[in-house]
Amino acid sequence: MTRPRPVDNGRVRVAVTGIGVVSPLGIGREELWRSVSAGRSGAGLITLFDTSDSPVRIACEADGFEPSDFMDRRVARRMDRYAQLAVAAGRLALADAGLSVDRDGEGIGTIIGNGGSGTISREEQHRVLMERGPDRVSPFAIPLSVANMGAGHVSIELGLRGPVTAVCTACAAGTDAVGTAADIIRRGDARAMLAGGADTLISPYFVAGFDAMRVLSHRNDDPAGAARPFDRDRDGFLVGEAGAVLVLEPLEDARARGAHVICEVAGYGASADAYHLTDPDPSGEPQARAVTAAIRDAGITPDEVDHVNAHGGASRPGDPAEVRLLQLALGEEAAARVAVSATKSMHGHCMGATGALEAAITGLALQEGVIPPTVNLHDLDPECVGVDHVANTARTADIRVAMSTSFGLGGHNAALVLTRDEEAA
Amino acid sequence: MTEPRVVVTGLGLVSCLGIGWRDAWAAALAGRSGAGPITRFDASEHGSRIACEVDGFAPEDFIERRALRRMDRVSQMAVAAGRLALDDARLSIDGEGDRAGAVIATGNGGSETFEEHNRALAERGADRASPLMVPVMIVNMSAGHVSMQLGLRGPTSCVVTACAAGNHGIGDAAAIIRRGAADVMLAGGAEAGITSYCMASLDATRALSRRNDAPERASRPFDAGRDGFVAAEGAGVLVLERLEHARERGAEIICEVRGYGASSDAHHLTEPDPSGRWQVAAMRMALERGGIDPSEVDYVNAHGTSTAAGDPVEIGAIRALLGDERAARVMVSSTKSMHGHAMGAAGGVESVLTALAIREGQVPPTINLDELDPACGGVDHVANERRAAPVRVALSNSFGFGGHNAVLAFSALEDE
Repeated sequence: MTRPRPVDNGRVRVAVTGIGVVSPLGIGREELWRSVSAGRSGAGLITLFDTSDSPVRIACEADGFEPSDFMDRRVARRMDRYAQLAVAAGRLALADAGLSVDRDGEGIGTIIGNGGSGTISREEQHRVLMERGPDRVSPFAIPLSVANMGAGHVSIELGLRGPVTAVCTACAAGTDAVGTAADIIRRGDARAMLAGGADTLISPYFVAGFDAMRVLSHRNDDPAGAARPFDRDRDGFLVGEAGAVLVLEPLEDARARGAHVICEVAGYGASADAYHLTDPDPSGEPQARAVTAAIRDAGITPDEVDHVNAHGGASRPGDPAEVRLLQLALGEEAAARVAVSATKSMHGHCMGATGALEAAITGLALQEGVIPPTVNLHDLDPECVGVDHVANTARTADIRVAMSTSFGLGGHNAALVLTRDEEAA
Repeated sequence: MTEPRVVVTGLGLVSCLGIGWRDAWAAALAGRSGAGPITRFDASEHGSRIACEVDGFAPEDFIERRALRRMDRVSQMAVAAGRLALDDARLSIDGEGDRAGAVIATGNGGSETFEEHNRALAERGADRASPLMVPVMIVNMSAGHVSMQLGLRGPTSCVVTACAAGNHGIGDAAAIIRRGAADVMLAGGAEAGITSYCMASLDATRALSRRNDAPERASRPFDAGRDGFVAAEGAGVLVLERLEHARERGAEIICEVRGYGASSDAHHLTEPDPSGRWQVAAMRMALERGGIDPSEVDYVNAHGTSTAAGDPVEIGAIRALLGDERAARVMVSSTKSMHGHAMGAAGGVESVLTALAIREGQVPPTINLDELDPACGGVDHVANERRAAPVRVALSNSFGFGGHNAVLAFSALEDE
């Protein structure tokens, strides 16, 4: 295994050369981009489990996902739905990057973040235990239900033999996965990484648990209008599901093989609130430290940030804290100019996959010069004033530097700085 | 700019061999088993009814009673191990929290919480669901609680790679210090999966020993009579520190984290690639990154779970890495023979013991190694009795379901 040649003050630049997504907004990056740039909602009634007993009956499901399009039917049966989403997204990403897995996949790894998958299989198998006894639990219960098996299946199905892990930092996992993988590329421990997240927590346990925390929207009669970050009438998020994978490789290598560069991962920052079990620190200070760390890591100045894909969980205390953290990290003047959108208004909160899905969307925004909107933002909450909200319709803009931020239950804060590929522009 | 060096300055352990590293180390050197009949739940209907439980763990010794109620046992153990490690390092986080973080790995997260609430959901319905069922259960919460309880405000993460997770956690944490994002990281793993569902699902994979009548002799890595692993609970956390930071505060340096190697078999859901090729790749990567020649390795704390398929593959990989001549002289032991397989915590627990082996010049044994499986020969097994021997360079191996391989290379601190 060769370590990549360092460039730029000894630092390897990291390119995104492929995007694979299976999401409520479509399968594949083209369909995803058509949906986000049109401001389409991926919300609908829950079909993945029987909700007759549930006060919440809406979510953002990856409609039309057919696992057998991406893997052998027999293999798919031994995977939880989240792992199927991971494998499909990984395969799409690899194809999009035009990257071939040769040399036995040596030096190509994957990090698939998630927040609690495969909960669907675990809940089912635990019911088997309760109803029929320990000796009736499936021999596949563990491989079906553990959180590392998304990454494991991606490595097995695609033949990747480099570093393979699952970063699980709740709602920040997808972002932490991309940042951690970028560091693996920088330090020369892999020549390419498939980085992202796959999660589906549209399950009886998680929907009931989230609802008991009062964080889910109850707008069952208007799913498309339910997720409304920064809006005065927001009443919580919609659980989404997705697989989202980005192919990262050293920029030099990508250029050398003539790959299309979508954007660069220029910086990554992480911090912890160390504040509360479920609530974010309302001051925005710990979250701002993650943003500042990412900006420093990228070697840019705060006023260079053109666009932020916000966490935007449509929670009462969370959304205003996001505006405050941007004011703290960028300064009030720069914050007022930065174009902010919360694409969760369209694809829902895809949990451990959401950071990767949002990073993918942010990368495409840089490539296309179009900022996707926050939909359902009709009546801006006065507490969320202070940034340039891209409300309801996409905006054409010459953006060069963008950030994607994620904040997870437990106080995990993660931020990425993505930059436009100047050779493509 | 040269890359910062990373050293170990504190050790925290919550294990069946003891709470705090001193008790556990004494037990490990004495070759004591921590296994026994399961008492955490009624296992009478289970095929495997033995485990390594942590007896006498009193979480209120480490955590305020009010906070305890919102923590699964796995998080309680993680916080206890973290606090012990910080005390051992004589490190006060006050005012330095922004430059201190944690990576706490786990395999399952809050297993007891999940099972309790999933049962309640089945029996009482969704409208009686608890607001704690998600936050107390999810896998990242051990890291979250460690950060909250100890005031760590830097990068805080959780890595899940089944039985390799602890090692990935330590390797990832060392990388965070090397890239300059923190000066101090608490790194390791925690697991509290001696629960009905976890044990039933492990047993269903046929990975567990069923030597129910002789728990202390059930975990027997490399022995011809082995029949699977003994599940364990616990937590192992190390304080990792930037070398200069440790020197400036006059800390005692236990050993150095030299290298971290990670690879994947991409072979099978639960079985290792029988060629061992990718285990070799991970070990080689750990040595290369640490600038260590294979001939320098004195001791390998083996993954050695006591399964039929896994043990010979690992010994074969060590032989392939070192060459037969050198391999015959490298000391190998699997401390899982004593503390069981703590899954996501295993790498943390074993890294603590490996660090101590370097500092103390004592190698803890593989117990129950009465009749060496010929397929596991070719290395210098430290069988049944501890051995006093200088250990300058040691590897700690962990390999997980799903094909995750993670190897850490530690050495005594040597001046540049």
